[in-house]
Amino acid sequence: MNFEAILGHHLLDHAYFPLFSRGGFTLSVSKHSVTMWVVAAGLAAVLSAAARGRSGAGLLLRTAVEEVVLFIRDKIVAPVFGHAADAFLPYFLTLFFFILGCNLWGLLPGSSAVTGNVSVTASLALCTFALINLSGIREYGVVKHLKHFVPGGLPSIWWLSPILVPLIFLIEIVGMGAKCVALCIRLFANIISGHIVSLAFLCMIFIFSQFGAAVGLGVAPAAVGLALFVMALDLLVALIQAYIFTLLTALFVGMAVHPH
Amino acid sequence: MDKLVSPDPGLMFWTIVTFLALAALLKRFAWGPLLSAIAAREAGLRAEAEAAKQARADSERIKGELAAQLAEAAARRQEALAKAAREGEALLAKFKTAAEEDSRRLREKTAAELAREKERLVGELRREVAGLSLLAAEKLLRRSVDPAVEKAVLDDFLKEVSQGGGRR
Repeated sequence: MNFEAILGHHLLDHAYFPLFSRGGFTLSVSKHSVTMWVVAAGLAAVLSAAARGRSGAGLLLRTAVEEVVLFIRDKIVAPVFGHAADAFLPYFLTLFFFILGCNLWGLLPGSSAVTGNVSVTASLALCTFALINLSGIREYGVVKHLKHFVPGGLPSIWWLSPILVPLIFLIEIVGMGAKCVALCIRLFANIISGHIVSLAFLCMIFIFSQFGAAVGLGVAPAAVGLALFVMALDLLVALIQAYIFTLLTALFVGMAVHPH
Repeated sequence: MDKLVSPDPGLMFWTIVTFLALAALLKRFAWGPLLSAIAAREAGLRAEAEAAKQARADSERIKGELAAQLAEAAARRQEALAKAAREGEALLAKFKTAAEEDSRRLREKTAAELAREKERLVGELRREVAGLSLLAAEKLLRRSVDPAVEKAVLDDFLKEVSQGGGRR
């Protein structure tokens, strides 16, 4: 019984076949990339159908999606961006639905949790990083955007400022990086921990069955119950983490657009 | 298990490409139609609310106008009634004074006529009495008096009588 092998099999990405390789960079069609494409295609199909729902099930789907869209617009994006909300809304809607879709898809038996892969969450955090800086630059220009890294209200003492301003600038740059790394780690850790814990509970059956089949069977109900509980928790976590990632991205971008 | 926390650049590339492509696709095919439908619906609701507010304001205004008109009509009626009453009273007073005046004039005229008649009758009576007295005196004296003297004596007498009557 090799728990590490089981975890590796379930949680890590596996390349099906390589497409391109140069230096350390290998582009391949892998389990997680295929899963991601499936989720993206599913989202594109379902959400486009929802946008065109006129009657019956289509209308039902449309109403449900609209409810979420209005929630994201009125509770996340509009409070941060105000009148500029319409320009940012499609990005945040896509972000929310993509993370939610990947989280929920990962809970299905036989699928894999792409948001439990640090590369995926790091990429999403990189997109956030890019959006923060691009929207700041678009709003104020490069120079003013960089100036906004140093907050107003610093003491202006002639010998202190030349030391303080670069220091604060550096700290703020690192801070922005840290925010994005935190985004990446938060989503990744939340999703993968749920999967590790439910896998651990299920593996308890096989660990205890080494003492005898009866012991393993005896442990099974408790293990399955606990795994089920963790899965239910993961359902909650899937929603909450999609919400938090979207909300924090909106806040960070909002701070770049309205720095005061 | 190092692979669990070491990013794979290839998968990062795929993630970014997939995510951005999905964002573009959804913006074109899902969020665009959905958000414009929501915006149209919200604009419709806002317009309806605006129209309802306008209609309510209109009805309030009309109600106010009606109330003002009613109040004005009531005031006009009140005024007309008061005016009629005033006119009636004035007319009554005028008639009353006219009637009083008429009756007073009639009384005065009657009194004056009566006085004149009395004067005439008194004069006639005096003349009669004087004639009778003269006749009586003539008869008493048993002598004929010259008609000219008789007339002079009679006139003197009458004058005296009338003066005595004036004094009386």
